[in-house]
Amino acid sequence: MQLEKFNYDNKIVRDFGIATVVWGIIGMTVGLLIAFQLFKPEMNMGNQYTTFGRIRPLHTNAVIFAFVGNGIFMGVYYSMQRLLKARMFSDRLSKIHFWGWQLIIISAVITLPLGLTTSHEYAELEWPIDIAITLIWVVFGVNMFGTIVKRRERHMYVAIWFYIATFVTVAVLHIVNSFQLPVSAFKSYYLYAGVQDALVQWWYGHNAVAFFLTTPYLGMMYYFLPKMANRPVYSYKLSILHFWSLIFIYIWAGPHHLLYTSLPGWAQSLGVVFSIMLIAPSWGGMINGLLTLRGAWDKVRDDAILKFMVVGLTAYGMATFEGPMLALKQINAIAHYTDWIVAHVHVGALGWNGFLTFAILYWLVPRIYQTEIFSRKLMNFHFWIGTLGILFYAIPLYLAGFAQGLMLKEFTPEGMLKYPAFLQTTLEIIPMHIFRAIGGTMYLTGVIVMTYNLVKTVAKGKLVANEPAEAMSLAPVFVPQSGEKTWHRSLERKPMMFMVLSIIVILIGGMVEMMPTFMISSNVPTIASVKPYTPLELHGRDLYIREGCVNCHSQMIRPFRSETERYGEYSKAGEFVYDHPFLWGSKRTGPDLHREGGKYSNAWHFNHMLDPTTMSPGSIMPPYPWLIDQKLDTTTTESKINAMRTLGVPYEEGYEKLANNDLNAQAQSIADNLVKDNINIQSNREIIAIIAYLQRLGTDIKVK
Amino acid sequence: MFKQFVQNFTDSRIYLISSLWIFLIFFILVAVMLYRMNKKHIEYMSNLPLNDDNEK
Repeated sequence: MQLEKFNYDNKIVRDFGIATVVWGIIGMTVGLLIAFQLFKPEMNMGNQYTTFGRIRPLHTNAVIFAFVGNGIFMGVYYSMQRLLKARMFSDRLSKIHFWGWQLIIISAVITLPLGLTTSHEYAELEWPIDIAITLIWVVFGVNMFGTIVKRRERHMYVAIWFYIATFVTVAVLHIVNSFQLPVSAFKSYYLYAGVQDALVQWWYGHNAVAFFLTTPYLGMMYYFLPKMANRPVYSYKLSILHFWSLIFIYIWAGPHHLLYTSLPGWAQSLGVVFSIMLIAPSWGGMINGLLTLRGAWDKVRDDAILKFMVVGLTAYGMATFEGPMLALKQINAIAHYTDWIVAHVHVGALGWNGFLTFAILYWLVPRIYQTEIFSRKLMNFHFWIGTLGILFYAIPLYLAGFAQGLMLKEFTPEGMLKYPAFLQTTLEIIPMHIFRAIGGTMYLTGVIVMTYNLVKTVAKGKLVANEPAEAMSLAPVFVPQSGEKTWHRSLERKPMMFMVLSIIVILIGGMVEMMPTFMISSNVPTIASVKPYTPLELHGRDLYIREGCVNCHSQMIRPFRSETERYGEYSKAGEFVYDHPFLWGSKRTGPDLHREGGKYSNAWHFNHMLDPTTMSPGSIMPPYPWLIDQKLDTTTTESKINAMRTLGVPYEEGYEKLANNDLNAQAQSIADNLVKDNINIQSNREIIAIIAYLQRLGTDIKVK
Repeated sequence: MFKQFVQNFTDSRIYLISSLWIFLIFFILVAVMLYRMNKKHIEYMSNLPLNDDNEK
């Protein structure tokens, strides 16, 4: 053993820090834009590339993968080097990781507004970008494990375990949820259909929250909070217990996103039980964080950084209590599809992820620039306007969620729906949407103030790109001393074994849930009258995906009287067997569309798409005039039919050659039908395909 | 509808119960391991972030 001198790489930390702030502002600005569109649809600027359905995924992807993603890498690259007493494994890999990740984000910024999307929430990016994500994630992994291997600290601190669990689980989730069959350079179909696709997607979606928004941030909390408060974590044992319980339990809870849907009941129950259990490990983390500040609460009064941490941890505690409550079927019946869920998500995102990121930025930037923060006053201002912003955001949306959820379920004494038109409930909650946008504006103002403060801080300091450090090298062979043979201690020294064990732990839940749904065909009972989509309907469906209709409209009628009265027969698992991907949706800003077919005339749909307010006065749906101007691209019909057949949709051999004939005939009949209502439109327009699809929805088992 | 699934899938109860058992056993293992942990080691580990005193 000898004393070794080396340098920490602060430049990469700085770069990820800049990216965090820049993408944060962009992602939140897009969020604000769509928030305004929810009470003033004209804010889409009359443009298809800036309309809600297309840029809502841009907002979610930008804040999750660009803002929080870069924030994670900033925190991980800073803390990991210091906890392991080693420079990152390779400067080149760090650089590739940084620029690769930024390129992926830029490709999202380009493709999502163009409507190139898979429609799986938080996994919207198309297959070439999915491959790029995989490659860059591997680069991150090699860099991380390389650093672990050449470390000078024998034991891995709890933060490192959280990082390892994040790395392996995100890898597994991303790969399993990206099994797609490419149709063209930027279009693909998921291998799974209907119920199975829904299960995979929400197994992914729920655990993206767990392993992208939670575990890396817990890891960062375990490093940065003790640093900020200058005292060790409250209970190291608790951190071990809640780490293993958290990663074990989280993976099972995905089906709570699909309560009362066509997902098999036992899978729903499993999701509920594990969601309730999840309170314990989640609160273990929160309590451990808050109690770390025991005896240091006087510091919280003066130090805005600790204030951010306290509110962040409290928001985490609230969101992780609320999550299991929302997973109770009785509560879920009201809350699901409403603004309640949006409020819930934002308490976590704005409070937990946002505030922790800000605290870390305020703590870390002055340190790597060897200076003091430019203005404590501005930091305090940011804290207060941010906190008020969260309240102004969340409280109105809670009210909107309760109000709409209850209104939709209300019956008159005569047994009729009190609000038969969905729009009646929407109009009631528009004031809440306005308040929400004000809250969002306050929060973003805080971020802009922070940016100014950080830029000023950077200007008066000088970056220590290579921070000198020294530590003893590790003896090549470890000889355990007497009384040291506890199981976890040796695990802390074996990163690879640790990784394998983490994989096993997270795979158990996924396997138990998914295997039966995939292996046992009787789990998805087929319905004889359910037939594949016609070529025109298939194109219409792809337009529905392109425009992001699924962001506001569900296609899943739950078995409640209030829903069957409003929409029609509840949805059956067997109706979705040809749906690659499933389009059940998770939010109803507008009504459910699963039984839309045959409800209105073709002319109604035409006029409604041209200007929704003519058919539904007061509607906040944006107009879609471009569907009337744009020609339907039928050159892809053949490859789409072939792809669907490969996935198991029973189109006859050779049908791909005839498909466009059928398509033209069906389009012509719709165009002819529109003429009767004095609408003259060529049959080769996109609107015809989307009308065909809407008129088909849910008609397979409809009593005519 | 849910009855239909339960009838078609008679082993569903096994899945529900076995998953709880798997977790319980796992949880007990971790708890036992924690109980047997060395105090000195715990203190060493919890002080790890504070030991990289490079910054002022």
